[in-house]
Amino acid sequence: MPSEYIIEMLHITKVFPGIIANDDITLQLRRGEIHALLGENGAGKSTLMSVLFGLYQPEAGEIRKNGEKVEINDPNDATALGIGMVHQHFKLVDVFTVLDNIILGAETTKLGFVQKKEARKRIEALSEKYGLRVDLDAKVEDITVGMQQRVEILKMLYRNNEILIFDEPTAVLTPQEIDELMQMMKDFAAEGKSILFITHKLNEIMAVSDRVSVLRKGKYIGTVNTRDTNAQELSNMMVGRPVQLQVSKTPAQPGEEVLKVEDLSVASHIHKRNAVNGVSFSVRSGEIVCIAGIDGNGQTELIYGLTGLDKSSGRVTLCGHDISRASISKRGEEMSHIPEDRHKHGLVLDFSLEQNMVLQRFNEPRFQSGGFIKNDAVREYAEGLISKFDVRSGQGPVTRARAMSGGNQQKAIIARELDRDKPLIVAVQPTRGLDVGAIEFIHSELVAERDRGKAILLVSLELEEVMSLSDRILVMYEGEIVGEFLQGQVSAEELGLYMAGAKKQGEAAAE
Amino acid sequence: MKSRESFRNSDSFRTLISSLISILIGLLAGAVIIFIVGLTNSSISFSGAVEGIKIVLFGVFSTGRSAGGALSFGFNPVNMGNLFFRAAPLVLTGLSVAVANKTGLFNIGAPGQYLAGTCASLFIALSIPSSRMAPGLIWLLALLGGMLAGALWGSIPGMLKAMLNMNEVIACIMTNWIAANLVTWLFDISKLKNTAEGTKTGYIYKTTYNGVATPKFGLDKIFAGSQINGGIIIAMILCVIMYVVMEKTTFGFQLKACGANRYAAKYAGIKDRRNIILSMAMAGAMAGAAGSLYYLSGNTEFFWSTYQSLPAEGFTGIAVALLAVNNPIGVIFSGIFMSMLNISGMQLTYLTAYNEYITDVIIAVIVYMSAFSLIIRTMLAGRKKNIAGANANAEPGKREQTLPDAREMASSSAAVKEKEA
Repeated sequence: MPSEYIIEMLHITKVFPGIIANDDITLQLRRGEIHALLGENGAGKSTLMSVLFGLYQPEAGEIRKNGEKVEINDPNDATALGIGMVHQHFKLVDVFTVLDNIILGAETTKLGFVQKKEARKRIEALSEKYGLRVDLDAKVEDITVGMQQRVEILKMLYRNNEILIFDEPTAVLTPQEIDELMQMMKDFAAEGKSILFITHKLNEIMAVSDRVSVLRKGKYIGTVNTRDTNAQELSNMMVGRPVQLQVSKTPAQPGEEVLKVEDLSVASHIHKRNAVNGVSFSVRSGEIVCIAGIDGNGQTELIYGLTGLDKSSGRVTLCGHDISRASISKRGEEMSHIPEDRHKHGLVLDFSLEQNMVLQRFNEPRFQSGGFIKNDAVREYAEGLISKFDVRSGQGPVTRARAMSGGNQQKAIIARELDRDKPLIVAVQPTRGLDVGAIEFIHSELVAERDRGKAILLVSLELEEVMSLSDRILVMYEGEIVGEFLQGQVSAEELGLYMAGAKKQGEAAAE
Repeated sequence: MKSRESFRNSDSFRTLISSLISILIGLLAGAVIIFIVGLTNSSISFSGAVEGIKIVLFGVFSTGRSAGGALSFGFNPVNMGNLFFRAAPLVLTGLSVAVANKTGLFNIGAPGQYLAGTCASLFIALSIPSSRMAPGLIWLLALLGGMLAGALWGSIPGMLKAMLNMNEVIACIMTNWIAANLVTWLFDISKLKNTAEGTKTGYIYKTTYNGVATPKFGLDKIFAGSQINGGIIIAMILCVIMYVVMEKTTFGFQLKACGANRYAAKYAGIKDRRNIILSMAMAGAMAGAAGSLYYLSGNTEFFWSTYQSLPAEGFTGIAVALLAVNNPIGVIFSGIFMSMLNISGMQLTYLTAYNEYITDVIIAVIVYMSAFSLIIRTMLAGRKKNIAGANANAEPGKREQTLPDAREMASSSAAVKEKEA
């Protein structure tokens, strides 16, 4: 009699020197179910999946398929067992066509020649069947992220995988695309394929999964039936303490104009058009203005232009001064900037935490005299910020930024930027890749700054964050602002239509 | 506070240990080569091979042969003095490469900067008649002029990198050869060619011809009969200054921030372009000082027709910096060590049937091994990294950055060695 479970990971323990990444974890995947795997950053989800994929060998425990013990020594073994995975960062060859990417590694050949015709037929049939719209002859570099994800899914289907792992699949999608993906996952499950769904987003788990397993700090917390639980209970299980899911804030009390942007354009480094094309808006003190949009619609370039990281044309006024041509350090006198890419811009990874804390301020008389850095003052300041913002690290102020977890790196940047105490705070995806506990903290800090009278410009790709945090929403599509809404004026679904370019406010107003 | 101190200690301890291990491996490998060469050469007996090994290891302390023909060892003031004399330029070119490396730049242009420094110093030292100006002042002007010339020469690749984002390695290699040809041409049309000693061709006057020489600070009393002068002391002072600038000042903080992450530095409002140029200029000044001090000693002659070759001191600087793991204080020791190998090599030629080229082989082996010192350090640090890695759970690719760096430097210095050979 076949086992109830298609894949079982029993009592898996994986130890790295000095840390137990997986401590006696059991994960049982039923045939035809959607099983969500929930946990904070560093909870051991990735390690567990790496064990399932044969990238790591566990110190203890065993893996069974259909009740029989199997050895997975490398990813090829995993593929042979029918395990497929859509990685968070897609594993596609940019300069290959969609068709070539799908068959790569599983080509049918005749006398050493690839037989693409048959493959094309099969793929077309698959994409027809599941509604996976792709252009087989387009190069991967030319297609949207959503379509790239469909290519990844087709890869798994083409290989007849019966166990499908989705690692944070919704991070890059629009609300409409997310709905489509959810439906597709349900269709796969209905056909008997089994799905492991790794995510941070509780509403998605509630919407699509049958069961949820929760990990925390390398330990297995438990598995619950989705219909017997709720989002609050799941987040408490994940974090280990009650978490406030809703951002609590009072209505905004906007004051005077802090930032005024007029007709700002920024050239694109990828194509010949402008990445940001004649954008105008303003941010007042005491309000959170959020720029919503799908990744790659000019938000990054807009912030580069605003902060001086890139050249721009147009006029930017900050606290009454024209800063359109000002240097980055001049702009920094009245602007904090939590950058989008914490590794590229936010931190010098090979510097210590304390050095990173004074990255902009080392020249202040407080931290130097006669060109010599006052190490004691820097240390004292860093220790103050570390305890105030609860930045955790191995060796405190002297920890290398590289050795810190992503969440704590982000906390360090936020501590530094908020403590600089500037009238304008530019925060670009401040919670990207963070877990519920850290998100809660960052959200409440931003709201507190707003209530202190700061002007906050937030760029976010997370619709949920946009809806809950902002007082005013600007939607960017292809380098232009296509919609402006006050909080509560617009539903997430409608916002999604603006983000996808299906609707535009200028046109609506013209009616 | 205590844990902080012990961490620092363990980190620098690891660095020191790894450098020492690689030196040891290098010396052992050298000994093996000596032995093999000795056995395959009919003119060298077994005991000759053993003698060779002894000299490679303790050549500085060699005092020649006793009346009975056995090797004798002890304090040899000539060897010791020459050791320090030859160490000065190596320490400084090593410092040059180390400073650039700390700011994320690979200064393979030290030979060119060394030549620029040499050229400027010789012109100043020999062109201002000592009858009109105090020789001490001329000497100072010549040294400063040499440093300035090195700085200017170093800032060329710096500017190309900062303004046009041109790879500094390529620009450095080109400026090296431009320097070699330019210097040859400048001396060729100059009146500084040594014509007083008719037997010599191709050399420039010694600076003592104009009464200019580096002060000896009494070191010649301790190391009687050697070429030593105050150069090594000036080199050490420059090392300490560079250490203070890099580690203690806001200027060094900016330079290192640019080197470690140019984009983050820019984000923080640091002028990344200016700092890249300044880093290269500073590195160039150190290499320039190396050339200046070597030829201002008064007992060295410059072979001016240098257009076909680059000074080995410049390239050895890469190995010196590598062995010192880019520590400005560490280069004092690694520079002296490299100089010691040179002296041992000369003793080997004087006292045994081995030829001088075998020393080059041994130096090459140690250069290779010095690249391993970074790998050994990574291995020693491996345990810690794994823990951090498991904690961070992110960017597994980025954490490995130090290693390719080491490999890059290893292969470059290997290439350099081949070129020298």
